[in-house]
Order: sequence, then C-alpha cells, then structure tokens
Amino acid sequence: MAIVGHALSIVSLLISLAIFFYFRSLSCQRITLHKNLFCSYVLNSAFTLVNLITVVNNPKVVQRNPIGCKVLHFFHMYMLGCNYFWMLCEGIYLHTLIVVAVFAEEQHLHWYYLLGWGFPLVPASIHAVARKKYFDDNCWMSVETHLLYVVHGPIMAALLVNLFFLLNIVRVLVTKLRDTHRAESNMYMKAVRATLILVPLLGIQFVIFPWRPENRLAGEIYDYIMHILMHYQGLLVATIFCFFNGEVQGALKRQWMQYKAQWGQRRREHCSMRSTSYTATSITEVPAFMYHHDCNSEHLNGKQTEDSELVALKTGETYA
Amino acid sequence: MASVSWRHALFFLLVVNLSVLTTACSSHYGNAIEEFCLAKFKLDMEVLDQRQWCSWEDTVESYGELTNCTFLVALKMNCFWPNRMVDEFFIRVHRHYFHDCSMSGRLLHDPPNQILGPFIVVPILVTLLMTALVVWRSKRSEGII
Repeated sequence: MAIVGHALSIVSLLISLAIFFYFRSLSCQRITLHKNLFCSYVLNSAFTLVNLITVVNNPKVVQRNPIGCKVLHFFHMYMLGCNYFWMLCEGIYLHTLIVVAVFAEEQHLHWYYLLGWGFPLVPASIHAVARKKYFDDNCWMSVETHLLYVVHGPIMAALLVNLFFLLNIVRVLVTKLRDTHRAESNMYMKAVRATLILVPLLGIQFVIFPWRPENRLAGEIYDYIMHILMHYQGLLVATIFCFFNGEVQGALKRQWMQYKAQWGQRRREHCSMRSTSYTATSITEVPAFMYHHDCNSEHLNGKQTEDSELVALKTGETYA
Repeated sequence: MASVSWRHALFFLLVVNLSVLTTACSSHYGNAIEEFCLAKFKLDMEVLDQRQWCSWEDTVESYGELTNCTFLVALKMNCFWPNRMVDEFFIRVHRHYFHDCSMSGRLLHDPPNQILGPFIVVPILVTLLMTALVVWRSKRSEGII
C-alpha cells in the first residue's frame, strides 16, 4: 500500500514539475523554491520505493547484509531531511518577504539551496556513524532504536521553527498590515495559508506517532490516517501547492483554450499582458514595483483590471 | 551340577549387571558426558581467545556440538534427555566459561544516555544555528527599509 502512495506521489509531482517548467510565465522565486521542494519529494519517494521493494520485502538481502543497503538507507535519511528542510526554506522565504523586508528586492537564493540540499547531509552522516558504531543491525532496518532521533530531531526542530515563522507572518499580516495595506495583506494571507496547512500536516505524524489508540476501530482509523500522512505526502504537497494554485489553474485554462481555438485569435503572451495590466491598474495604495517580485501579486493585479481575459482569472481562489 | 549352577549364577549376575548398566541413568551418565563431550568443548574454547567466549558467533558451533553430544550419549545410555545431570553439567560449563558475559550483551541495544544525548542534541542545535544563519543572511542581502 505504501508503494501505491509513493507511486502516486511521484506521478503527481512530476506532472506539477512539468507544469512549472512548461509555463515559463509562472516562474518567479517562490515557484523556484516549489520546484526544488518537489524535486526533493520525488527523490524521497523514489528512494523509499527502492528501499521497500529491494530491501524490506526481501529477507534474503537483509540476511546477506550488503553494504549497498546501508548506503541506500543513508540516502533515504538524507532525502527525508531534504524534504523537511525545503519546507523550512519556503517558510523562511515567506517570512523574509513579508515580515522582515516588505518592499524587498529579489532575494539571493544561495543560502536556501545550502539549507535545502546541503545541510541535511549533516544529520544523515551523524546517524550513519552512530548507527555503525552502536547499533549495526542488518541493513539498519530496525526502528526500535533511539538513534533514529538523530535524524528525526532536527526534522522536528525544522517543523517547529517553520510553524513559528508562519504564525509570526500571520500575526504581522493581521495586526500591522491590516489597516494600511488591506489589499495585499489579504493576498499574502492566501499565500501563507497553503504553507500553514501543510506544515502541521507534515509534522503531525511525528507528534501522534507514539500514541496509537487501544480501541480496535480507533486504532484502524489511526493506521489509515498515519498511512496517508506518511506515504501520500508528495501528492498532498503537489495538490496544495500546484493544482490548487489559482495562477496555475489560470495558465492551464488559457493553454487549453488556446489549443481549442487552434488557428484562432492569438492570445497575447502572459508577460506582456501583465505589463499592460500594471499600467492599467487602478490600485493607488501600493507601489507598483512590489508586484514585480511576488507571484500572487500578478494575480491580484489581474483581478483589478477590466481586461476581459483577466476576468477569467477571477475564477478560483489563490491558494498558494 | 554345581558347576552348571555356578555358571548360571555368574551368567545371571552378568546379565543383571549389564541391565543395570543399560537402564540406569546414574552417575555413569555424568561421567560419560564429562569424558566424551566436555573434553572436545574445552579444546574448542581454548582455541578461541578468552575475550571471544562471550561472542555468540564464535561459540555457537562448539556449544551446539556439546549439546548434541550430551543428547547422543543420553540416547545410547537410555536416559531421558534433558535430565537433572545434564542441567547441572551445563550450569558448571556456564559458570566456568560464560560467567562474566553481560545479560543483554548479545542483543543490539542503544548506547548509554551519555553518548546518545549528545548525538541527538548536537544536530538539533546545529539545525537551529543554520536556520538562524540563513534568516540573517537573507535579511542582510536585502537591506531592510
């Protein structure tokens, strides 16, 4: 069953990645972070699948205990860390964008790449060393050891920090920006909402994992929920960040209409459409340059103009 | 007539003795296993380094042979196996060879808390530090208005 979950996750994530890469007009810094996050989810699911199929279901391999299965386990732990640290990068990015420097120039993403791809090597290596020295069971399969907390501890810390950042953002949006910048505080709120939904979903499995209810029915429900939370994460992330995204839906609808019209009226490129909408906007409260660097602002801008094509974008909420 | 009865008596005595030998499970059994089985086990264990006596991988074969040997002697001597003598025998063997092996030494177990603690706390602290670093650097690269 876990195999099904991970396979579905990989498929949906690859579709989302294809959408993000194909529609160049969607790309901005936040989408770049999404792309990296989805990549790490794809790799994590891939490693989990390989692990499940070749090692866990295969007692002969476990008995032979080749060094390859320990290397596989190490990479699995590394990818798990990458997942959660990329979620943390998303949270930090939003925090920097909204709370720290509201009228921000484009951020340099190097540090995010370091935190997302580079840093998870640290807990994974420490876990490998500790496991080799103190609990060197076959293929490192056992979950009875507290040494797993070497990896899960930093992950939980990252989730907690992420949650703190996101709540801080919500606090700032609600209190400080509400009166002066009502329009875009709503917009940012929607941007934050998706991440705020995802972080507890991803983290709750660590919190409630030790507490399986005794009751048979409740225990089964618990098992199903944990199973979904653990193995369908990629699907959840892809759905909330990509498929429910108003901009993505708009872009897909436009592409579909384009194909339908075939040789029909050529639509203007999304980019040029945007630039005309900047000049046509009737918003006076917020400086225009802010909108260059946030994806959702373009959507909001579109909502305010009278351009007929952009009226189509009004459908669907902006989730992310 | 007297010689025949004498021979009969001798024969009878021999049979009784033999039957005693074959049906009794007395100290003869204990001596037998000491002689046949323990000698080989001693040789095997002497080959190993004393530190390896507590290692199951190294001793499992000779231990298995010892157990088998006691079983076969018991079959030969019509004894029921296991019995009290074989139990006492093994207690003596354990007392001599395995007396200072730790109880859970053969199971995989976590390191003590003194080692486990730092292994868990240090990555968490490094994570928090790294996060603070990234937040600080992304703050810096903007120039806050």
